[in-house]
Amino acid sequence: MKILLIEDEPSLQELMSRTLRKEGHLVETASTYSEAEDRLAVYSYDCVLLDIMLPDGNGLELLKALKDEDRTEAVIIVSARDSIEDKVRGLEDGADDYLPKPFHLAELSARIRSVARRTRGGGTRGITIGNVTVEPESSRVLVSGKELPLLRKEFDILSYFMQRPGHVVDKAVLAEAVWGDHVDQADNFNFVYSQVKNLRRKLEDAGAAVELRAVYGFGYKLVISGDE
Amino acid sequence: MKLIYRIAIRLSALLLPLLALWAMIFYFTMVREINDEADDALEDYSRLLMIKVLGGESLPEPGDGTNNSYSLIAVSEEYAASRPAISYHDEDVYIEDKRETEPARVLVTVFPDREGDWYEMRVSMPTFEKQDLQRTVLTWVVLLYLLLIVITVGTTLWVFRKNLRPLYSLLEWLDGYVPGKKPSPVPNDTDISEFRRLNAAARQAVDRSEELLEQQKEFLGNAAHELQTPLAVLQARLEYMVDNAGLDEEMLAEASKMQGTLSRVIRLNRTLLLLAKIENGQFPENSDVDLAAIVQDLREMYSEIYGGRDISCDLELSGPLMVRMNETLASVLVSNLLKNAYVHSAPGARIVVAGRGSVLDISNDGKEPLDAGHIFERFSHAPGAEGSTGLGLALVRAVAERYGIKVDYSCLEGRHHFRVDFGTVIAV
Repeated sequence: MKILLIEDEPSLQELMSRTLRKEGHLVETASTYSEAEDRLAVYSYDCVLLDIMLPDGNGLELLKALKDEDRTEAVIIVSARDSIEDKVRGLEDGADDYLPKPFHLAELSARIRSVARRTRGGGTRGITIGNVTVEPESSRVLVSGKELPLLRKEFDILSYFMQRPGHVVDKAVLAEAVWGDHVDQADNFNFVYSQVKNLRRKLEDAGAAVELRAVYGFGYKLVISGDE
Repeated sequence: MKLIYRIAIRLSALLLPLLALWAMIFYFTMVREINDEADDALEDYSRLLMIKVLGGESLPEPGDGTNNSYSLIAVSEEYAASRPAISYHDEDVYIEDKRETEPARVLVTVFPDREGDWYEMRVSMPTFEKQDLQRTVLTWVVLLYLLLIVITVGTTLWVFRKNLRPLYSLLEWLDGYVPGKKPSPVPNDTDISEFRRLNAAARQAVDRSEELLEQQKEFLGNAAHELQTPLAVLQARLEYMVDNAGLDEEMLAEASKMQGTLSRVIRLNRTLLLLAKIENGQFPENSDVDLAAIVQDLREMYSEIYGGRDISCDLELSGPLMVRMNETLASVLVSNLLKNAYVHSAPGARIVVAGRGSVLDISNDGKEPLDAGHIFERFSHAPGAEGSTGLGLALVRAVAERYGIKVDYSCLEGRHHFRVDFGTVIAV
């Protein structure tokens, strides 16, 4: 995908573009509102990552301009202003997704993949890796086309990993993603371990081609079975 | 004590000795004046008698219509020499006609006749009863005192109220002022320069404190916003390192700890933003929320997360507890209180969530009562609460204040009770 990354913070811009390039995207960057405007006037992109607070303007204006011109770029807003108004306004103005800072890079990749799936249109909206497909809308998991019944939390964990294949996920980050902020004062992560254990067993029993591999001392990552 | 009462008491206290003094002076002056008059009359009478005695005329019979009486006795020359020529005093005298003793003014005089024989003449005239006079004076003084009190205090009150009305309207305005809420304009319909100045000063003070409060809120919000980007960078770099640097186990464990600390900072920052948003009223949309359902969901989750501690959580809810609030905020309020109970409970402890009418009571075992004055403050940490942001109860308070919900803490029979009265937002 060809992506325009509009972000004024150089360090974050570098990291984001490095990650996206590594995943095979073509990334161009803009640090200011006017630079972004210039690029959008000349080129077209598949996806625009848009920071709302830019030194010389508001990203939402840029979004409006794009939509007024009926441009086809998918827009993901990346904002430090985690406010409902901004989110609502951004989505109302035609943004495809809203990612509040600070975010995990894996989350960014996942959102871009999801936007890409949506904008390509048609096809299944699920995520497929190996013989495993996760359908977020219907909360169903298919292994080789056969439905695998999972408990709610097990499903949440699997979806989280399916959106971040190959990324090492810290157990605390996983806990927070699935159980929410409520885990911040947990004494241990036994509740995570036991859920992951059950999920792994179910995946294995169903003959799934993916597995959750433990990364000792850190957490887990989703890998395709047999890979190293 | 109200100023007006203080003034009334002081006025009364001041009037009391003044009037007492006045009564004393009045009484003695009056007695002196009456005695003066009586003495003059006695002197005239004695002179008349003396002339009759010296002229050899017969003396009038006692009981000649007046109550005056007299006596004439011969005395020795030595005795006469030891007495003053004329003296007055008060004495009780027996009056034949009335057959009773009455107070009288008495004149005693010694004089010689032509032969050089000395006589002592006592002339008496009944006068007033001193005790009667005292009683009358006292009665009237007390009446006067009461009258004066009523008049002075009444007048003072009226003048006071009339003149200090601007002060009272200012006080009323100050009472109605709630920090953070836009105040109504200061009442300033007075042309007294002192009050105008006072009103202006109050206005300025309130404006300043509003401004500072606003700045403080803004600062907190902005600081938290500004931190989001660097935190995002840090988060991303750490992830990049873990994914790509091929760290060994030891380094991965270290990275995991870094991630833990970083997550805590991010959470703290997010909570501060949430607090700022609640205080700025950025959660406008309300809906009917069932707190009982929220509590049940949360209990399930917490018993999973804190499963290792074997804490039991009993729900005593009679049915749905419907309130009209923002759903996110309702959940923030209840979850922070319930989490608080879980986090601060020892293994094996018992938590009870009881709903009675509009009140939700969340209680857990605890040894020492908490400092009720400070637990709702920001960053008020319980000792040894690692990972805690110290903002949970501050969030509870912010939500409660936003909806006028009452949250109380008390420690009863070795249990911490957090009582939340949803009276103001209960949905009917």
